[in-house]
Amino acid sequence: MGSTRISTTAVEELAGAGADAMIRIEDVSVQYGAGDARKKILSSVNLDIHQGEFVSIVGQTGCGKSTLLRLVLAEEMPGGGRVLVEGSARTQPDRRCGYVPQKYSLFPDRTVIENITFGLEVTEIGFLGGLAPARRARRKEFRAEAYSYLKRMGLGESDGSKYPHQLSGGMQQRVAIAQALIMRPKILLMDEAFSALDPGTRAGMQRLIRALWRETGTTILFVTHNPREAVILATRVIALGRPRSSDDGAEVVLDLPVPDTIDEQKIAALIGRVEQSTYPNGIESEDAPSAQA
Amino acid sequence: MSFFEIHAQPSRTAVWTLSWFLFVAGIVSYFWVSSNRHRENPDDRVMPTLAQMGQAFATAALKPAEDEEVAPDADRQSLAAKLSHSMLWKDTKATGRRFFISLALLVPAVLLGLHMGMLPYVGTFFLRFVLFFDKIVALSLLPILFIAFGIDELAKVMLIVIGVAPTIILDSFHLTRGVPREQIVRGFTLGAGDFSVTYRIVLKQILPRVLNSIRLNLKAVMLFLFAGEMIASQDGLAYRIALLRRHMGMDTIIPYVLWVALLLFLVDAGMRLANRKLHPWFQEA
Repeated sequence: MGSTRISTTAVEELAGAGADAMIRIEDVSVQYGAGDARKKILSSVNLDIHQGEFVSIVGQTGCGKSTLLRLVLAEEMPGGGRVLVEGSARTQPDRRCGYVPQKYSLFPDRTVIENITFGLEVTEIGFLGGLAPARRARRKEFRAEAYSYLKRMGLGESDGSKYPHQLSGGMQQRVAIAQALIMRPKILLMDEAFSALDPGTRAGMQRLIRALWRETGTTILFVTHNPREAVILATRVIALGRPRSSDDGAEVVLDLPVPDTIDEQKIAALIGRVEQSTYPNGIESEDAPSAQA
Repeated sequence: MSFFEIHAQPSRTAVWTLSWFLFVAGIVSYFWVSSNRHRENPDDRVMPTLAQMGQAFATAALKPAEDEEVAPDADRQSLAAKLSHSMLWKDTKATGRRFFISLALLVPAVLLGLHMGMLPYVGTFFLRFVLFFDKIVALSLLPILFIAFGIDELAKVMLIVIGVAPTIILDSFHLTRGVPREQIVRGFTLGAGDFSVTYRIVLKQILPRVLNSIRLNLKAVMLFLFAGEMIASQDGLAYRIALLRRHMGMDTIIPYVLWVALLLFLVDAGMRLANRKLHPWFQEA
């Protein structure tokens, strides 16, 4: 009886712990290697991210931003602490979290439309069901939906039959976002998704993602090393850094809400605060995003 | 622009001339030496003349094999009928059958490599063993194979599989591991399970490279096949070459060698064409 009581309590605690947060990161630590080669990446990171938030995670190169994203994806397990998505810990990535990496975001062997419909096909048609007439009709619906997403991303119908290598970097990332959003994920994780783009394309993509966030209300975690991008996109900026020494794992050094309506002067002030937390040795340091900032 | 500069840009004529030069030089040298030898000794069998080789090849391609029953109307048969009863066709058919059975048996090797790359436990279980097996010289196993499987088809096919399969397994394994992790993660986030990620994302992406790997190993496949046929066989192109060697039948051996090279070239070109048609994204990527 006693053990049942304990077990029930543990389950209730687990369910209750993440109930109010879409993502709960609880006292998470990560380290790689062993012995002398051991390297701490994250130390005691605690975060609650709520539904509908647009959170930018900013920090210098190698400070553990992408590691944090991989923890949320369940692509990596924490050494200590736990990561809960909708109150539950996961063992591998699933469709609750959409994912847009910096590169290799599209399947090179599929056309743009096939890339966008991939998720719908694997989840709703399966591997062997593609020949039945009803399935064929369903497939047509998927394609129609994919074309509507393509249009929303600002791409033409003729782009649908192209292969990823025939598209520019910006177009590829637009398709990658469409591919993720068509699955209606509760969370969209973007890992330096615009880093490889030229400034013009990047600005366009920033406007697009912001508009899509307003439209869909998807919780977005956006990893960037660019303080300006972090501030202008998000409703909340989290800066990771190593406040004590470079041997320690990174911690949350700044958790800053960004008001929805804000003037240029306040934006500049917020960027200044984020830069100060992210690059305490000055923006001229090696890791600073020079031209982009 | 000098001949030996990195930035040299050969003209179309230069490209054409240079690329065919060694072929022409080889052929001219052969026939020059051959004609000299025949002038000194009209019965020379080491370097047959073009006429001798043409005659021998025509006999091989149009005359019935020695174990074929000669039809009473053999001389009035159509060209196709003559070809289908010929020694060349019989040997080509026998070698081709073994060759394609061996290629088909490489499919499980590709699938094993794929699963070794995708599933960590499967990889751990097989990798060390396959790496060890890859180092064994397949030809050294030939006596063991003949003892174990007899001198029939199975031993020859097994020789090819043992000789080439470890390379294909390891190639498939490394190609699988080379698929960016982002692609696999994205597959899962789009709702794919282990099966779909393995077969609909990874296998599809590595397939053109695997076909290339098999294509590059065609010569090794032929090498093992020829070794098997030369040692223990009743038919096949290599059997014929080994048999003719005893009679110094260079007039047939040389056309046979060229015929084998042509067949291998055609299979290679066919696989390249199939790869291009099946995977248009790969050729352009």
